Amino acid sequence: MFTVIKSASTGIGPRLGRLALPGKKVVHTPHYLGITSRGVIPHITQDTFARDASITGVYVGLEDFIERAPYQTPPLYQFKPPKDSSPLRRFIALPEDTLLVLGARRAPPVAAPAANPNTNETVSVCTAVGFRVLRADDYAEAAERLQADIVVGLGDIPYGRKLGNKRIEKATERNIKWTQDHINLRHSAETRAQQAKLFAPLLPVSSAKQRFYIETLIQVSERDVAGLAVYALDSLEDLPEALQPLPRLGFTTPSAPQDVLQHIVLGIDVLTVPFINAATDAGIALSFQFPSTSCDQSHNGSDPLPLGIDMWSPAHAVDLGPLVDGCTCYACANHHRAYIQHLLAAKEMLGWVLLQLHNHHVTDIFFAHIRASIANGTFTDDVEHFQRKYESRLPEKTGQGPRVRGYQFKAEGPGEPKKNKAPFTMLDDGQEKIVESAPPEAGTDASELEAQGFAAKA
Amino acid sequence: MSRGADQNDMLPRTQHALKFDLVAKCATTKARAATLHLPHGPVQLPMFMPVATQASLKGLTPKQLEETSCRLCLNNTYHLGLKPGQATLDTIGGAHKLQSWPHNILTDSGGFQMVSLLKLAQVTEEGVRFLSPHDGTPMLLTPEHSISLQNSIGSDIIMQLDDVIATTSPDHARILEAMHRSVRWLDRCIAAHKKPESQNLFCIIQGGLDLELRRECTRQMVARDTPGIAIGGLSGGEAKVEYCKVVKTCTDLLPDGKPRYVMGVGYPEDILVSVALGADMFDCVWPTRTARFGNAITNVGVLNLKNASYACDFRPVDEGCKCMCCRPTSEGGLGITRAYIHHTAAKETAGAHLLSIHNVHYLLILMRQVRDAITEQRYPAFLRAYFYKLYAGEKHKYPQWAVDALAGVNVDLLAES
Repeated sequence: MFTVIKSASTGIGPRLGRLALPGKKVVHTPHYLGITSRGVIPHITQDTFARDASITGVYVGLEDFIERAPYQTPPLYQFKPPKDSSPLRRFIALPEDTLLVLGARRAPPVAAPAANPNTNETVSVCTAVGFRVLRADDYAEAAERLQADIVVGLGDIPYGRKLGNKRIEKATERNIKWTQDHINLRHSAETRAQQAKLFAPLLPVSSAKQRFYIETLIQVSERDVAGLAVYALDSLEDLPEALQPLPRLGFTTPSAPQDVLQHIVLGIDVLTVPFINAATDAGIALSFQFPSTSCDQSHNGSDPLPLGIDMWSPAHAVDLGPLVDGCTCYACANHHRAYIQHLLAAKEMLGWVLLQLHNHHVTDIFFAHIRASIANGTFTDDVEHFQRKYESRLPEKTGQGPRVRGYQFKAEGPGEPKKNKAPFTMLDDGQEKIVESAPPEAGTDASELEAQGFAAKA
Repeated sequence: MSRGADQNDMLPRTQHALKFDLVAKCATTKARAATLHLPHGPVQLPMFMPVATQASLKGLTPKQLEETSCRLCLNNTYHLGLKPGQATLDTIGGAHKLQSWPHNILTDSGGFQMVSLLKLAQVTEEGVRFLSPHDGTPMLLTPEHSISLQNSIGSDIIMQLDDVIATTSPDHARILEAMHRSVRWLDRCIAAHKKPESQNLFCIIQGGLDLELRRECTRQMVARDTPGIAIGGLSGGEAKVEYCKVVKTCTDLLPDGKPRYVMGVGYPEDILVSVALGADMFDCVWPTRTARFGNAITNVGVLNLKNASYACDFRPVDEGCKCMCCRPTSEGGLGITRAYIHHTAAKETAGAHLLSIHNVHYLLILMRQVRDAITEQRYPAFLRAYFYKLYAGEKHKYPQWAVDALAGVNVDLLAES
């Protein structure tokens, strides 16, 4: 399944690999997964995804689908598509050849409000209706049934919190138990032609600190554990040699391309890159390239270049050029800066669609060039050059993004200001409703009419 | 074909940037099928035009819009005048270039938005005075300014600025004034129009619900020989019976050789009846707006997919529909289920986009079916079958206004097909 093509001379380091699953596009690593929300790359409808994007693989969090559990069986579990195809893939209408990776939580997840949100049997997950508990055995069963290509096993991951020694001990025990149970379930299940590959989650501490869990992983076969999910780079520093051939999937939340490079240097093969979506929602068109092209020699010594362009800026209002010169993405090939600036200013949703396509395309090229650079043996120099050439952070956002939903952020507590500004005052809102609504019937209660704005005076 | 030979029922033409080919007339009703040749390609009438208010159809890429078979969409002059603004439009070279849309665009004059969206809009003989929604400064939209903006936009069909008032207004003197003023403004629009060779200026018939005023207005507008004619001021909450009377009264007086556009109509039943009454073109934001609320338009009525009953409904949004969203994967579609729309409706923008694709496609295909039925002389039967399916055979539920309006054009909706 995973072959290392070129590895670092000693220990863990940047490497080239090939992740090939039957019937799926081959993922040449280092690469990244597109992050979905409720089954879609935000803003990108499935037809546009298939036609106008070239994303090789996507990551799906199960918590986006289970708001009715455990009291009702979630709709996704009841979906039985024809011809033995994957219920998850068919439900979200993902193309057959796109790599589908399933985990329990979104990437990155909203941290649970409780200090110790997980128990020996459950983890806290954030659904569209708030935090719920997900049982480890339920997760394993669902993950197997949904037939993703890769399943990230459930881990006791303390998102955003440091683990004390006691807590590490407990987490190690839980990871051992949950992973073992999941493997047993896979053994007992009738042999499916297409069983998902199981990736075991490492705790976000060094391998030494989770020694017993690591030993368990060394003992099981590759059929049982085909890869590792990495939540902190610490886990890779002293990763035993026996586990090194396994592909490493990173949930290490890089916040800029420099972080991506660093995580690759430290040995991640496949990354989830949350700043792509974040840049899109902020109205920023990514504009970095790797490695630096010949013309950047002129930038030696001068100010570093920005990593992205703030498309809210009125400076683009009459600019008929592409977002990035020479870019061949759908947005740059068919539209210009002026239109995208207009769409953002007018709060038209197409603006985010086009930026999202562009930003994923820029990331595609970025990773392709990283692989070329590793193959050429110039990676270390190129990384250094990139760090000199570009600013270390993405530009600040100046405009307003799309509406934020409850499952995308954590409430700070009482007195928190509204996340989404009301788009209309009541007066205008009411009038719009009146324009499209049928005339009220004679028997309608007057107070109801007033509530919907009928009585508002223009 | 030379001018005049095939259009002998028309007044002598001045410069028009369109050609109207009447293909068929329904032998029973007043419905017509036609081909309208516009600067950015031909379109088939009758037709529905989706509304891309701010130069974008609510999240759809131009490619997706093209795929729904749309060849003419609307932009709003009022919105484009505010953003990106006339100077920007001039620099970019018009709305086609702005949104990379290779097909036709129709723009309204901005008059309707003045009245529907703005507080304290005041109409005087010179134009519409209003407060800028940006900073509250007083502004004025005149017929000359509206046409100048639409010349900058470069739309294939442009509309005159008209004096829009609610049809339900009880003030008869005001309606009379608005009707006459709209005629005077049409003259000012024609005089101000700088590109008659590439943009078609349509007049807009006003006159409220007063049929005599409508007749008078129609006569005056027709005399001015615009390339197309719109019936305006409707869809403002008037009774459907009144609406039908107005449409029929106007179409009775209109020449055969010009397209007729009824503004702001989008419900399938309203369109079907209006076609029977002789109208050719319709526009409405309803299909895309209602999509954002999770509503799917189907042959059996509107389904609110946000309702919990659809959470586990794994059928396509509209069974048998050939849009990208509903078509099964075996036919190259996405095979999206109602359950998935329920899953994303009002939570992810892509869910709204999918439903917008379906709803727009639904109306465009409906219009194609209507056109085929007219050319094959089976429109009355088509109407009966559509209503029968929509109301699941329960004829007592048919809206009386539709039954009456169709009876007025010799169709017995309640008869057996």
